[in-house]
Amino acid sequence: MTDERLRRIIRRREFTVLGLIVVLIVFFSLTTERFMSVSNLSNLLLQLAGTAISAIGMTMVIITGGIDVSVGSTLGMASVVAGKFLMGGYSPLLVLFAAIGVGLLIGLFNGALIAWGNIPPIIVTLGMMSILRSLMYQLLGGRWISGIPPAIRVIGLGKWLGVPISMWVTILLIAFFTYFLSSRPLGRAVYAVGNNPEAARISGIDLKRTLLFVYAVLGALAGFAGLVYVARTGIVQTNTGSGFELEVIAAVVLGGTSILGGRGTVIGSLLGAFLVGIIKNGMVLLNVPALSEGLVIGVLIILSVMIDVIRARGERV
Amino acid sequence: MEYLLECRNIAKSFGGVQALKGVDFTLRPGEVHALVGENGAGKSTLIKIISGALLPDRGEIFYMGQPVRIDSPRKAQEIGISTVYQEPLVYGELSVLENIFLGREIRTPWGNIDWRKEEEKARFLFASLGLPHHFLREPMGELSVGLQQLVLIAKALVYEAKVIIFDEPTAILTEHETERLFNIIHKLRERGVGIIYISHRLEEIFRIADRVTVMRDGEVKGEFPIGAIDRAKIVELMAGKLLVEEIARKRFRGDKPLLSVRGLTKRPRFFDISFDLFPGEILGFFGLVGSGRTDVAQSLFGLLPPEAGEVVFNGSKVRFSSPEEAMSAGVAYLPEDRKVQGLFPIQSVAYNISVTVLRELVRRLGIVDTRKERDLAEKHVRELNIKTPNLRTRVYSLSGGNQQKVVLAKWLSVTPKLLILDEPTRGIDVASKSEIHNLIAQLADQGLGVMVISSELPEILKMSDRVIVMHEGRITGIFEGSEKTAENIIRAATGERMVVSGGVRA
Repeated sequence: MTDERLRRIIRRREFTVLGLIVVLIVFFSLTTERFMSVSNLSNLLLQLAGTAISAIGMTMVIITGGIDVSVGSTLGMASVVAGKFLMGGYSPLLVLFAAIGVGLLIGLFNGALIAWGNIPPIIVTLGMMSILRSLMYQLLGGRWISGIPPAIRVIGLGKWLGVPISMWVTILLIAFFTYFLSSRPLGRAVYAVGNNPEAARISGIDLKRTLLFVYAVLGALAGFAGLVYVARTGIVQTNTGSGFELEVIAAVVLGGTSILGGRGTVIGSLLGAFLVGIIKNGMVLLNVPALSEGLVIGVLIILSVMIDVIRARGERV
Repeated sequence: MEYLLECRNIAKSFGGVQALKGVDFTLRPGEVHALVGENGAGKSTLIKIISGALLPDRGEIFYMGQPVRIDSPRKAQEIGISTVYQEPLVYGELSVLENIFLGREIRTPWGNIDWRKEEEKARFLFASLGLPHHFLREPMGELSVGLQQLVLIAKALVYEAKVIIFDEPTAILTEHETERLFNIIHKLRERGVGIIYISHRLEEIFRIADRVTVMRDGEVKGEFPIGAIDRAKIVELMAGKLLVEEIARKRFRGDKPLLSVRGLTKRPRFFDISFDLFPGEILGFFGLVGSGRTDVAQSLFGLLPPEAGEVVFNGSKVRFSSPEEAMSAGVAYLPEDRKVQGLFPIQSVAYNISVTVLRELVRRLGIVDTRKERDLAEKHVRELNIKTPNLRTRVYSLSGGNQQKVVLAKWLSVTPKLLILDEPTRGIDVASKSEIHNLIAQLADQGLGVMVISSELPEILKMSDRVIVMHEGRITGIFEGSEKTAENIIRAATGERMVVSGGVRA
């Protein structure tokens, strides 16, 4: 490996995040006794999976220069549907399709309004977030769903080679979308649309189709994450998934995806999800009051976007 | 004090290019002094210096008899020099009154804005100019462009302007609005305001100017009282004896047209456009800003669907409704503004070059073949002599000329039959410019049909086999051979109709 190549790797955001993760792991394992325990680490991975899966879709959305704040409600809605179907005794496979299908529909709806309606993404998804939350309340009638049949819970709790199955699925999805973004024409178009939509249009890229695609994928992945959530926790409430959007967006922007569009990787977002997860987990173990977790994540989001904006100054043509 | 404003021996250069080579310019109180010249003649540079947007390298400016240093637009405005641009710079959401007094608010003793006094003053001002003033409290954005311009003139008077510069004020005005503007200019003149008037429309200049200065190549080529000169003389001075470089060409030309356009119309941008383009031919499109040349090009590329007319491309009738369709048929369009429409600045050189042909680079399983992509990019980097550290370099870090070559490479990747180049060398260095010219010639010699749109007369003369001139959305001249002269082109571009309607020769 040449010096030049090494330097390029070191300068990448993913490398910084990885370094930060290592530092935090060392820090938390020295300051707390439980952090390095097998039960805590596997718990950490279980909690991470849903965030990382949704972060894949969010990465693509943010690369196009958009945002989706309805992802938490989408996860919630999908978990309500999954919960209802499971309690109704339907087969796990059907439930899987139902959860993904609900998310996909929501994503298609968001994407269509953004692409053809020309409504800013923040507004469309903010509205969607509120609508879905209200629908969840109607569907649940203020009650919880609990007592989820054990057959499905393997998706949320099962392990293979000591690693949760949901984490294996996450790794497969990360691998697929890494390949997709770097090697498929549509994946490449995602970057073009975010970097310079006007040039993309003139270069023969279909803007509307690309936008519809990224929001639909995010919806479907959030739907799947909803099922994983139900399978892991075994309960569904009206506030399931609230605040989840912040965690996903934090993972993506910490992982180096530029909020200005045109730049980002799903591997970075996976690392970002790890960083957020470790911070949350470690702070609980350190007995830091739960509210300061929001403080730390908020500061990190602002800092990392600030770095993006400063960097972008030198890159204007 | 004879002169309100006097510029002596003003010189300015930009990185080796001399934009102004010692220019003298004077303005008397109560006079309309017209400034004419082709693009690149130095008018804009001179205006920018007078209005404080640029500092001269050399020379002096005297204002009301005193030497001044105008180092910012604000300074210019404060001493009484205001500029009215072609496209009014306004705050659409604020009221007309706020727009007029922004930065010079009249205040009550409490420090609040004194709306009543402002309105009184504005009414008085508008009345004295013979303007309606019922709209003072309405948002500026609801006024027509013509009215906005008049509001800005009123604003200049609030600043007690003694010199007002008009930079192509009528380019986007209706006839009625133009008449009203001329009335105001007469009133301003009566008040003793000195007016510098820039326009490409020579007939206007004969209507309102007292004096005219003709510029070319950064120099003043003559200054005359308006009674002592005619249109032909002005055109002759503007054109001069342009040193036209020759470019080596095989001048191969196919006998069947590659592109036939008949009666193409998109109101109000262009009307009844008809022409043929042959394989191996470079067809130049010349015209002033707003003449519709870019609109015609975009319409041929599927970006601006026409209302009427017929396009036959490569033997079959076509109607492209998206760039994708046009590209797959073999049309490429290098857009006018590479920053906004051409480049993906934070992506790599290879990405930018291959983005138009990704689907053709796909291997099995829909994967983009990165080796093929690299080969394609390498080939273009070599052939176009793009100076880049490597293919992974992000294009924002390249020079303007090399960026433009990257955009050109992107379009050559689609191996087009028809290449439309909109301002292919705008804002790039001389060396890259001539490289791009040679490249265009080579492409034509390989049998491509090339359309070159340019605002630079020397470029049009150098590159084109034939020149089509447009004015206000219509073809006003088609020239080739010995008729292809700077003078003819300028005459047609300023509105003289030099071709029968339709523009197709039998």
